[in-house]
Amino acid sequence: MSDLKLRVKEMIIERLKLEGMTPDQIEDQAPLFGEGLGLDSIDALELVLGIEQVFGVKIEDEAAGMKAFKSVQALTDFIAEHTKA
Amino acid sequence: MTPAPAPVPVIVPTDIPAHLPHRYPFLLVDRILEREPGVRVVAEKLVTNGEPHLQGHFEGRPLVPGVLLLEMLAQAGGFLEAESLHGAAIFLAGVQDARFRTPAFPGDRLRLEVTPEGAFAGLMKLKGTVSCEGRELCTAHLLVKRL
Repeated sequence: MSDLKLRVKEMIIERLKLEGMTPDQIEDQAPLFGEGLGLDSIDALELVLGIEQVFGVKIEDEAAGMKAFKSVQALTDFIAEHTKA
Repeated sequence: MTPAPAPVPVIVPTDIPAHLPHRYPFLLVDRILEREPGVRVVAEKLVTNGEPHLQGHFEGRPLVPGVLLLEMLAQAGGFLEAESLHGAAIFLAGVQDARFRTPAFPGDRLRLEVTPEGAFAGLMKLKGTVSCEGRELCTAHLLVKRL
């Protein structure tokens, strides 16, 4: 697991208070919303705030969110793309 | 030279019903003391003996229910937006980390301070504090959605 992906998973667990869950229990390709982790709109807002706080990346609107929140892999790629020097 | 920002319109007590859909006995904001749209609102609520919920909460020992302190913060949050709500309802979607440190009693002049923490997809997260004469009564994070 890449260092960034691990940090993304740790941020998700901490921000959403997924007590008892470990990073390796979150599948890279599983959808974050609906199936997979089964997150809701409040969780989405928490992730938006967490991503900005931890990685300094802003998710400006719902369209960007739809793209970033497809899976942990998609979110990791989104953060990597927006933190390039 | 950049033009000076437009002054923030003052909201006097008689204007409040035009901005919130709540009415007696559930309109829980009496005055707007400070307002910087999108940044901060400070409102005021004077607790009076005539409020109906105090008759039974509790008999002989009236104090404001903690959930109403949260409702006061949510209503004050309705004045954060640059554009007023014009009577539109704000739906309370979540409450996080609420702490009730000391009760509010009849006669207390409550200061309601609300700041935004972020927004996404129509949801807004607010941080709120209820205080009285410098004492912190209640703190909470609220998630609100405009209907």
